[in-house]
Amino acid sequence: MSLTSTRVHSPRVLWLTVPSLVWFAVFSVGPLAAMFVIATLRWKGLLYEPTYIGLENIGRVFADPTFHAAVRNSVIQVAIAIPVMIPLAFMLGYHLTTKPRGYRILSVLYFSPGLISISMTGMIFYGVLSPNGGVNGLLRGIGLDSWATAWLADPSTALPSLIAIDLWRGIGWTAVLFAARLASLPAEVIEAAQIDGAGRMRIMWRIAFPMVKDYVRTLAMLQFLWTLFTSAALILLLTKGGPGTSSTTLSYLVYAKAFSQRDLGYSQVVGVVLLLLGVAGMFLIRALLRGSEEDSR
Amino acid sequence: MNTPRRSRSPLATVLSWLYVLILGIPLYYLVVSAMKSNIEIFTRPFALPANWLWENFGTAWQTADLGRALLNSVLVSLVAIALTLGLAVPAAYALARTDNRLARVITGTFSAGFLIPPFAALIPTVVLAIQVGLYGTREFQMLFLPASALPLSVLLLTQFMRTVPQALVESAALDGAGHWLLLTRVFVPIAMPGVVSVTILQLLTFWNEYLFSLTITGTGPDVRTVQVALPMLVSDATNLGVLAAGTVLTVLPVYVVYSLMNRRMQEALTAGAVKG
Repeated sequence: MSLTSTRVHSPRVLWLTVPSLVWFAVFSVGPLAAMFVIATLRWKGLLYEPTYIGLENIGRVFADPTFHAAVRNSVIQVAIAIPVMIPLAFMLGYHLTTKPRGYRILSVLYFSPGLISISMTGMIFYGVLSPNGGVNGLLRGIGLDSWATAWLADPSTALPSLIAIDLWRGIGWTAVLFAARLASLPAEVIEAAQIDGAGRMRIMWRIAFPMVKDYVRTLAMLQFLWTLFTSAALILLLTKGGPGTSSTTLSYLVYAKAFSQRDLGYSQVVGVVLLLLGVAGMFLIRALLRGSEEDSR
Repeated sequence: MNTPRRSRSPLATVLSWLYVLILGIPLYYLVVSAMKSNIEIFTRPFALPANWLWENFGTAWQTADLGRALLNSVLVSLVAIALTLGLAVPAAYALARTDNRLARVITGTFSAGFLIPPFAALIPTVVLAIQVGLYGTREFQMLFLPASALPLSVLLLTQFMRTVPQALVESAALDGAGHWLLLTRVFVPIAMPGVVSVTILQLLTFWNEYLFSLTITGTGPDVRTVQVALPMLVSDATNLGVLAAGTVLTVLPVYVVYSLMNRRMQEALTAGAVKG
């Protein structure tokens, strides 16, 4: 702690943070605050003059069945994607740190979908999931013709397909992150448990997991926010929220109301709801994965 | 830096390679489709092409005007990364050298910003672009992208700059070195691994950015980035082979860079998540 005591105490050097703070305020905080203002306006598209209507938009949004469907779909999406992704990624990450045969190749392969942008992922799965595409070809090849369907155009499979893509790209990437964190744990603890005859499952969940629980929580929060907020891009590329509203999430509704249906007030009310859900979800994850990291120290 | 003793678990081994298969099949399908006609994609989805349609690559390149789009992507990414470092490095230097309440408040501001996905404020950002007269230009993206990258960049760089030994700073200060000399001769060289990590991490983010490029820069052939240009190949009668070829061409640069420096890149990207 002698380091801190000899640090510069005059705040003058902090002027150097001003440009980045200004930048952050103008391009990040400003637009975020503006959401709450736009939510109170009647605004028919970006080229028109807005008029102030107060809380009227909120009533309109909450009475709209499309909004109800979007809430439902968003909840389904995160309630399936995150609880599946995080434990699987943790187990794969743990597997990587035990250095199985070919673990270098495994980690390179797991990592690679993280390099592909969302628009490229969309284009890959546009082909894979099209009626004559890869998945149906595979099903026909193994004699399951009756399972083949137009994955993205069928109301019962559109949303599950999108969730599957989230998992496809998310699990491996998250596993590599877990592996990086697990590799920094003291090896003696785990060796001692192995000598005591503890099984693999027991070591993984009872010893390794509590030691990185805070990190599990951080990644769960990031993946949750990422899934909740950015699903619009993939939906825009693949299903446009359809068929009907079967794959419309809140994130996509924000986009669609602003750009295709020219109702900015509505769009930003949904944006505020999304933001509140994000905050609520973070508190939920924090509560679910709370505090036992203190016990293990 | 030891890791647990190699343990044998057949189930884990099988499952870990099964996931490789699940990851690999769509990518394999993409690559073989890139050299096929629609009919062959439909009838023999996983076979190697019967006749290799290399011209799909040329068709994709011309139809989506990928050359110009790649240039736009390079231009936007490079200007944005230069601006990001220009803003974040001095800020990190100041935060690493100061320890008072104000510095903690500033760090706290960036930590909170790190959790907010930029997409949350997409529509107000479009409004901002219109207000400042930069709607439909690459310039707005060059200015905007650094802002979304600042929280993580500042926090990471601050951590690396905190590792500069105090004795070194004091002796340099005794020799009369000002902030500029300290920053360029002492802090940046020592924090170089951090600078490289931030550069790799944010370049990849900028290169891959899609929704803001689509809605603000737009689809004009002169200004659109490669992420926006490629999906233009989708139509009512999409030539899936050409689309796959274009996708391969667009993803390839990132993979080439990754294959040349995968350790370095993996370290950079995991540092982003572990330390952030």
